[in-house]
Amino acid sequence: MNRLLSFALPLGCLALVVALPLFKDLAPAIAGPYPLSLARSIFIYMALAISWDMLFRSGQVSFGIAGFFGLGIYGSALSVLRLGMSPWLSILAAGLFAALVALLIGFVVLRLRAIYFSITTLALAEIFRIVLHNGGSFTGGPEGLFIPKIISSDNATLYWLALSGVVVALAASSWFERSKIRFALTAIRNNELQAKSSGIGIFKYLLVAFVVTSFVQGIVGGIQLQSYGSSSPDSAFDANYTLLPLAMALLGGVYSTVGPVIGAVLLGFAAETLKLRIPYGHLVVYGIIIVLVILFMPDGLYGLWRKRARARRSARIDARMAAKGASRG
Amino acid sequence: MLVTRRSILWTVLGLAVAIAILMWKPTILVYGIERAGLYAAVAIPMALVLGIVHIVNLSHGEFMMVAAYATYFSARALKIDPYLALLPVSLVMALFGYVVYRLTIRQALKAPELNQLILTFGIAIALSQTVNLLFTGQSWKMSLSYVSASMSIGAYDFGVYDFVFVAAAILLAVGLRLFLTRTKMGKAALAVGQNAKGAAIVGIDVDRTYAFVFALAVGLVGALGAMFLTKQAIFPGVGGPYTMKSFCLVAMAGVGNITGVLWGSLALGLAEASMNGVRELRDWSSIVFFVLIIATILVRSVKEKKA
Repeated sequence: MNRLLSFALPLGCLALVVALPLFKDLAPAIAGPYPLSLARSIFIYMALAISWDMLFRSGQVSFGIAGFFGLGIYGSALSVLRLGMSPWLSILAAGLFAALVALLIGFVVLRLRAIYFSITTLALAEIFRIVLHNGGSFTGGPEGLFIPKIISSDNATLYWLALSGVVVALAASSWFERSKIRFALTAIRNNELQAKSSGIGIFKYLLVAFVVTSFVQGIVGGIQLQSYGSSSPDSAFDANYTLLPLAMALLGGVYSTVGPVIGAVLLGFAAETLKLRIPYGHLVVYGIIIVLVILFMPDGLYGLWRKRARARRSARIDARMAAKGASRG
Repeated sequence: MLVTRRSILWTVLGLAVAIAILMWKPTILVYGIERAGLYAAVAIPMALVLGIVHIVNLSHGEFMMVAAYATYFSARALKIDPYLALLPVSLVMALFGYVVYRLTIRQALKAPELNQLILTFGIAIALSQTVNLLFTGQSWKMSLSYVSASMSIGAYDFGVYDFVFVAAAILLAVGLRLFLTRTKMGKAALAVGQNAKGAAIVGIDVDRTYAFVFALAVGLVGALGAMFLTKQAIFPGVGGPYTMKSFCLVAMAGVGNITGVLWGSLALGLAEASMNGVRELRDWSSIVFFVLIIATILVRSVKEKKA
């Protein structure tokens, strides 16, 4: 029963979310153009948050989410404009491009640990930005690129497109959770030396995680481009695309798929309301959330809930044992 | 023997580069040194915190930015020169640093390194966005007549004001050396930095030392914020690159090596100034630093693996 519920509940939720645009005439308050576009931006951040967490499971903090996201944006724009690719295909190309770059630099970057890895990812994002900024007419320079036509002007289609980015991230994340990659990453995070001596090919797993997460970020970047139609170095590599997903994953609960999803929904709505009230500096909330979560709730909301559920379960078992003991005695 | 030979080699190489630049465009040498002064002065307090508290403070540059804002608004309100506000601002920043240490860093000292990293990153965001909230993203600048002081040697004209940063860097390097070797508190700090447990056993109050060092570093970077304001425009994001640059320089030099920070800054300053000096390369000068940081980190990791 419980197992059935644990499958049915997320699937039911997903079905509801997928079907949302169909209710646009019935309930415009939750399925009108504005809620749908808000949902789209939440989906973009959600997919990025999940992908950040996937690499974080190995104990590596990436500050370069915006870098691969931006590469995806440019990958998609350039393959449409310079290679004449179809928009749909260009999204895949964006993911592959980001993954390829990740593969090439991964051979070097993944030998680094802790702060060295983090700072390098941050610096790489900056390097990508500067290169595209100075790329002349090929990359559109500081003004960036415009694609002549976005993939669709229909709200529902764009909504499903953004949602499919989340689905890609969810699929990758649950693949990580259900295969032995999960054990490898957890082992690396807990004690790298021990993991190595137990015969885990550390570098191989890190590379897989790095390439797959970059692929997801690239895909999401492609989706972003194809639904908004323009890319400039400053908007594509905006630090918010690093900051928000990180805060979302931390608040929701790291080392899980559910955590980043919860965090993205909560912070996504919070950001929208705050942005309307406070045009400058609403991001301060994200900084404070990061600080508070690290200090008081390092497992995040989902982690807290899981801990409590576990405590309740063991209390129940204890009570049952005690009752058994009493009846026997 | 090997070390001395290598250091001779480096000195010769450095001199050769300096002479080459001098022959090519002498002003670049001056601007490079001035830039290096600022970089080194900002990086040294970060080296102090990393060496003793063992925390990579990713909000380092943001503290400087906050101090610059504090200086700007107090100097404007009281109609005084920023240099008069330097000492009070520095003291207030030290106090602020102490409070931040007590409330946040101290709680995370025993946490995994990852958490500390994300924590100081969060502090950086909170600081820059609070400033953004209060003063919007607009940039502010003081107009002071003395910053455009210039000098000419032969046919070359160049600004000399920025040498105050070079002076500040040297003062900081020498001052810290004296503090760490001559004063009781400094010696205690050095001991804590080397081995916190051992220091605690011989009766040093480790927690108080950490708090003091962190507050000192924030106070110093606060003083630099006041100086920074005299020359540059300030906006909420102005501190971020200095965090990165400081980290890069400290990583390049290695923990506890303040002379190394000075040399690293010189290399970075000269490289950037040379790129800026050539019209075709000017757009790319901001990439120098990022390439340098990655190269540094890679070289360091290779070295560490060998050792």
